Amino acid sequence: MGRLAALGAVLLACLATACGDGESSGSRTLNWFIAQQPGGALQKIADRCTQQSEGRFKINIELLPAQADAQREQLVRRLGAEDTTIDIIGMDVVWTGEFANAGWVRQVPEDRRAAVSENVFDSVLKTAQFEDKLYGAPLWSNTQLLWYRKDRVGDTPPKTWDEMIDKAEEIGPAEGQIQVQANRYEGLVVWANAMIASSGTAILTGPETVGLNREKTERALEIMARLGASNVHAPDIDTSNEGTSAIGFESGSSSFMINYPFVYSSAKANAPEIFEQLRAAKYPQVDASQESAPPIGGFNLGVSQFSENPDLAWDAVQCLVQEENQLQVTELEGLPPVREDLFDRKQVQDAYPDFADVVKESIADASPRPAETPAYTDLSLAIQRALHPVTKIDPKDVGATYDVFKDDVEKAIKREGLL
Amino acid sequence: MGERGTKEYTFWTVGLFAVIVAALFPVLWLLMLSFKTPATVGDGSFIPKEWTFENYTTLFEGGLDSPLLRPLINSVAIALIATTIAIILASFTAYAIARLEFPGRRIILGGALAIAMFPPISTVGPLFDMWRALGIYDTYLGLIIPYLTFALPLAIYTLVAFFREIPFELEQAAQVDGATPTQAFRKVIVPLAAPGMFTAAILVFIFCWNDFVFAISLTSSDASRTVPAAIAFFTGESQFTAPTGNIAAAAILVTIPIIVFVLIFQRRIVAGLTSGAVKG
Amino acid sequence: MSVAVPPQAGAAAEGKKQGVSDRAKAERKLGWMLCAPAVFAMLLVTAYPIGYALVLSLQNRDLRFPDEGGFAGLDNYITVLSSGLWWSSLGNTAFIAIVSVAIELVIGMILAMIMHRAIFGRGVVRTAVLVPYGIVTVVAAFAWFYAFDPASGFVNGLPLIDDDKAWFGERWSAMAVIIAAEVWKTTPFMALLLLAGLTTIDEGLYEAARVDGATWWQRFTKITLPLMRPAILVALLFRMLDAFRVFDSIFVMTRGSQDTESISIVGYNQLISRLNLGLGSAVSVLIFLVVLIIAFIFVRGLGTQTPGED
Repeated sequence: MGRLAALGAVLLACLATACGDGESSGSRTLNWFIAQQPGGALQKIADRCTQQSEGRFKINIELLPAQADAQREQLVRRLGAEDTTIDIIGMDVVWTGEFANAGWVRQVPEDRRAAVSENVFDSVLKTAQFEDKLYGAPLWSNTQLLWYRKDRVGDTPPKTWDEMIDKAEEIGPAEGQIQVQANRYEGLVVWANAMIASSGTAILTGPETVGLNREKTERALEIMARLGASNVHAPDIDTSNEGTSAIGFESGSSSFMINYPFVYSSAKANAPEIFEQLRAAKYPQVDASQESAPPIGGFNLGVSQFSENPDLAWDAVQCLVQEENQLQVTELEGLPPVREDLFDRKQVQDAYPDFADVVKESIADASPRPAETPAYTDLSLAIQRALHPVTKIDPKDVGATYDVFKDDVEKAIKREGLL
Repeated sequence: MGERGTKEYTFWTVGLFAVIVAALFPVLWLLMLSFKTPATVGDGSFIPKEWTFENYTTLFEGGLDSPLLRPLINSVAIALIATTIAIILASFTAYAIARLEFPGRRIILGGALAIAMFPPISTVGPLFDMWRALGIYDTYLGLIIPYLTFALPLAIYTLVAFFREIPFELEQAAQVDGATPTQAFRKVIVPLAAPGMFTAAILVFIFCWNDFVFAISLTSSDASRTVPAAIAFFTGESQFTAPTGNIAAAAILVTIPIIVFVLIFQRRIVAGLTSGAVKG
Repeated sequence: MSVAVPPQAGAAAEGKKQGVSDRAKAERKLGWMLCAPAVFAMLLVTAYPIGYALVLSLQNRDLRFPDEGGFAGLDNYITVLSSGLWWSSLGNTAFIAIVSVAIELVIGMILAMIMHRAIFGRGVVRTAVLVPYGIVTVVAAFAWFYAFDPASGFVNGLPLIDDDKAWFGERWSAMAVIIAAEVWKTTPFMALLLLAGLTTIDEGLYEAARVDGATWWQRFTKITLPLMRPAILVALLFRMLDAFRVFDSIFVMTRGSQDTESISIVGYNQLISRLNLGLGSAVSVLIFLVVLIIAFIFVRGLGTQTPGED
């Protein structure tokens, strides 16, 4: 009964406001499934694009839960059921391969590829590709920086992980802690991947081939183990995530933190005295002779295979990722844009005063997680299982950890076994 | 009943106080968390160093579109409806099983138990498909039905245990006095089984109230989303910051209906109804 | 003290056959009619999903690879049962379940007696005792996690506790917190069912025993416990079944690390994270079987009288 009444009310309202333009093509509603961002940018850019469509479509945001895992769960349930209500999907960078392989998202049409990839960082574009085909239009990016306290570390930040740990030990465990993310979750994979990439090798060298050069991987693991065995890691390192690292840093016990740029506005709001001393630098190197490969995150917009309005959806997507909207996301959410040429704009400079260049360089040098395998979640689970807790990896015997790690990775991309 | 000395009163006062504190201490912690500002929420102290009511006010910003108001209404409505239906259905079934002879009694009981044992998470996928096909996805009914399914077994078992305790002579006596089976049921059995019914009601209500798995998967909007699922949508200051203060505030607010419900229902869980009846 | 269904139905059958079979038929019909709505509700929701899960468990189905598929026989079950992860998580689950249920039984009994006999403030104490059970499960787990976390919690600030103790960094301390959270949350469940059981005991029996000179302990063990047997067993049975499916507390606190993984977390990882429907369904079916075996042990081994038996 309630539903009939509601439907009746909508029809009446429709007649009263003469919605749709009365001619052959009425306004189509496009459902955009994405998680809410706290600054409200998403609704603004959706409204802007609805307006700019001049009545052809209306973008309706369908909210997903805040946690990435929960978002994926909701999306996958619908996509697996071939739900036609999904038009546009906000995809985390690591879902591209999985969604594309399962046939849930459409390839970006030939004629639109140039428009959505113009000036976009190579590393960002890579996250939207599967088997060299483009499946998404990047909307925003993200990367991790080394944050440090000028008053404790000085003006020149350490360049390598070893230097950083040395400096931290020098400052002492009460004030020199290094904050990372090492809980048994995706954040650990982010860290591990960045370390391995920074050491000069890669977890995967193809959708089904494992890389993991022994010497280089062991070097990376050694450093992670060193931090875990030292007295300058956060006491809750084994359950640490981005949020707890920020809180730990804001409590004053730390001098270093590896984290996303959200910590800048967080410190500004929550710990002004520490904010005064906060400085940013590029992700630390594993090897003094090799540039570091910071992590990369962000969201790409895809169009569902089962959408009933694919052309309109692509129009909407093209609008949503245009310059103006990317900058609004930066302005309201503090998230980096995906185009290189936007970094000298006011919104970016305001969001990252004095360190916009560091962010730009970090994204340019970034190394994506091995999402070229559609079995990425298996791989992620295996890596988490092999490396957690970091405090239990023996820095003097990383070979043993390496063997288990490589073995688990090999089994995971073949989707074998129980995880 | 002997005289109550001060010793007994002191014993009970201390004892009750200890019990209440132990039971509510973590709730007190949640309460403290709900008053902490985002800056101090992780500072490790029990009592907030900075107090704020914002965690509560932001939950209701926006009236009917606010993060918590609609879900709260949904939770209350769905839990009440599901509990009422569950108790009625369970009472009929339990009475039949406890009192009547018919083949399949054991199978129904065993089957109900088996259903209670199956992991709900595996049922969510197929239920999602079924509900979408039937058009009850994202509706009250879409949640009430699975809640009934998974709450009925416990309700039935509890009530069967209760019905069995009621002496058959009472029913016979009522029938000798000229009452029909329905009247006997209503006037004799129900009052005696009241403690069991109210116990089962409380358990079913709390089960529906707390459920997360079905709530998050079988709803997609505030039309039917309940509080536990709504909490998953709360955003913190950034996509990486957990809205701890808001979550704590929501959890506290949401216990108020529970407290009201339990306070009313627990009164009916009293002894003396069975013991007096047989002699009288 | 259970009263059997009257022997009339059986004995009279030997007598007036005509009238009895009518009566028996009427009784049967009434019985089915009364049960029908509940049975229908239960089957509607579970028949298809359970059947579907059983079928899936015998197949190679991965939602991410829709082109693959096909009958796999018992392969999925073999994968699960030959995996060390399954057995270690089964052991963890059993440990957590048995320890928490045992503690809950004792504390629940004490609470039930308090709720039954309090000479004042009964309403308040009963409500207070039940509040933990009514807190949203995930939030309760989070509250415990937050309290014990070295950075954001207050527990490490308490005297006698190491400032930097990483409760979730070691297996036994993590287990302790998980079990404490579980016990706190679900003792009210036990207490409530036990309280309901206490209310059925005839006060007169206590009077008589007191007159005979029985001590409190004797009254408890000889009157209370035996008469509460049905209530205790229903409480234990259902609580055990739930305890074996512990998920939220562990997931929030350690995500299964430090060897605290439970079988439900394993199931979640296969079914939802990996979208390996075949393997995940096999795990679900195995969880069901584990719980079934436990119920069986209760019903047969401990001499439980299921409420429907005479």
